[in-house]
Amino acid sequence: MTPSRTERIIRVALMALAMFFFMLPIFWLMTTAFKFGREAFAIPPKWIFFDWTLKNFQEVLANSKTPRYIMNSIIVSAGATTFSLLLGVPAGYAIARSRSPLINSSSYFFLLLLMIPPIAMLIPFYLVMRDLHLLGTYAALITLDTVFDAAFVVWMMRSYFMDVPQEMEEAALVDGASPLQAFTKIALPLSVPGIVASALYCIIFSWNDFLFALMLTSPKTKTIPLGILASFSAVEISWGRMAVMSIFAIIPALIIALFLNRYFVQGLTMGAAKG
Amino acid sequence: MLLSPLLIFIVVIAIYPLFFSFYISFFKYRLTDPNQTRTFLGLANYINAFKDPQVTGAIANTLIFVAGTVIVEIALGLGLALLFAAESRRTQMLRSWMLIPMALPPLVVGLVWKSLYNVDFGVIPYYLKQLGLDMGRGPLGELQWAMPAVILIDVWQWTPLIMVIFLAGLKSLPHEPYEAARVDGATRWQSFWYITLPMLKPTFLVALLLRTMQSFKVFDIIYATTGGGPGSATTVLNYHIYTVGMVFFKMGYAAALANILLIIVAALAILYIIVLERQQI
Repeated sequence: MTPSRTERIIRVALMALAMFFFMLPIFWLMTTAFKFGREAFAIPPKWIFFDWTLKNFQEVLANSKTPRYIMNSIIVSAGATTFSLLLGVPAGYAIARSRSPLINSSSYFFLLLLMIPPIAMLIPFYLVMRDLHLLGTYAALITLDTVFDAAFVVWMMRSYFMDVPQEMEEAALVDGASPLQAFTKIALPLSVPGIVASALYCIIFSWNDFLFALMLTSPKTKTIPLGILASFSAVEISWGRMAVMSIFAIIPALIIALFLNRYFVQGLTMGAAKG
Repeated sequence: MLLSPLLIFIVVIAIYPLFFSFYISFFKYRLTDPNQTRTFLGLANYINAFKDPQVTGAIANTLIFVAGTVIVEIALGLGLALLFAAESRRTQMLRSWMLIPMALPPLVVGLVWKSLYNVDFGVIPYYLKQLGLDMGRGPLGELQWAMPAVILIDVWQWTPLIMVIFLAGLKSLPHEPYEAARVDGATRWQSFWYITLPMLKPTFLVALLLRTMQSFKVFDIIYATTGGGPGSATTVLNYHIYTVGMVFFKMGYAAALANILLIIVAALAILYIIVLERQQI
C-alpha cells in the first residue's frame, strides 16, 4: 500500500505550510535585526529585499550595559545548572536505587514541586529575600531557579538511572567498593547522556526565565530578557535594537534545537511522559 | 544519604516559603504601608477573592485560554506528528527546526508576535486587510481578537512539544495490530481510527494534563503583548496575581490568590501522577 502520488504532494504541501508557520516569526526577528528603522516599519512589508545594515548591532554593542546583561545571564544559568546537578543527580540516583517505597514515591513529590505555579513560589520567596536583604543579588535568583531545575533533574535522572543496569554496581559492591564509589565510578559515567539532557533543560530554563528575574534582580544583576525590555527606552521604541538583543537571547535555544536536539528531545519526553 | 542535601535545600528554600505564603494569606499585608502592619483577617482574603469581579473574570479568562490552547495544540500536534513521523533524513532535519520555538524565551516570542500583530506596521494586520478583513485597532487592540491572538502565540510556541510527545507515542506502538488489520482488508483510515487513536489514549492523557498545567502558568507572553488588556480581556489569573502582588503590593491578598491557583494546579498534577503511575503497570 504505497501512498498515491496526490497524497505525497498533499503531504509535502502540508509540511511546507507547517514549516512556513513555525519558521516565519523567527525569520522576521532575524531580518528585523538587520533593518533600518524605516524599513522595519515599511508597508507593504519588505521580506528580503531591503538595505541590510549592521547599525543595530553596532548600537547594541556600543551600549555598555549589553555585556553586563549577557554576563549576568551566563552567571545565573551556570550557577543554577551547577547547583541543580550537584543536588539533583545524587538524589535521583538515591531514589532509583532505594528499595524503600517511601523514598521511591518521593520522586512524585519532586514532580509535584516542578508543577507549582512560579508566581505562588515567587511571592513568599520575594518577601523572604527582602527580609534577608538579598533582593537584587545573584544568589536570590540562582536559588529560586535551582528549586525548579533540581526538581526536574531528580525526576529525569531517576528514570535514567533506573534504565542503567545494576549488575556492574552490585559486582563492584561485592568486590569491596563503597556505595559512593559505585555511584561515582560506575553509575555516573554510564549516565552522561542523561546528565547532558538535564543540564540543557536547566540552562534553557534559567536563560529564558523572565518572571523571577523581573522581581529578584537589580539594575546590576539584570539578565538578557530584562535587557530586551530596557531596549524599549522611554525615548523611542527601537524594534531593530530589540531584535538584536533577542538574537543574543535565542542563541542557546538555536544551538540546542539544531545541534543537541537528541538530548533535548530525550529530556522533554523523559521528563514529560515517562513515569 | 545522597538524597539528604537536596531534601534539606528544598525544605528550606521551597517548603518554608509555601507555608509562609499560606500564613500571610490570612492577613492584610501591604508592602507600601510604612508601618508594615499585618492585620489578621481570617478567611476574608479568600472570601473576597470569589466576590471580586476582577478575580472571577481572570479565572474565566484563564479557563478560555487553557481550553483554547490545549485543544488546538493537541489537534495540531497530533497532525504534525503523523505528518513528520517518517524516519527519513529530511523529516528528521525538519523536526529539529520545529524544536526551536519551544526553546525560545517566551518573552522574546511575545515581543516578536507583538511586532507581527502591530496595527501600524505589523505584517499580519496588513495581509488580513489585503484579504478584506480589517482588524480596526489590530489583533491585540480589539476586545474580541485579543484572546485568540494570544492563544495563537502559545499555540505557535508549544504545539511542537505536543508533536514530540505524540512522536514518542507513535514510535512505541506495536506493529502486529496493523498487520492483522491489513490482512482483514482494513483501509488506512480505518486502521488509524480503530487502532492508532485508541492505542494513543495514554499519550493523549499525558499531553493533555501536561499542557493544561503549563497553560495555567502563562505569564511572559501576556506581559510582552497585551499586559492583560484591552480592558481585562487577556488578564489570566497568573497575571492578575502578579499585578495584585508585585504592582500594588497587596501581599496578603496576592498570596491568597496564588494559593487558589496552586490548589487548582496541584489537583491537576496529582491526576497527572496517577495517570503516569497507571501507565507503568
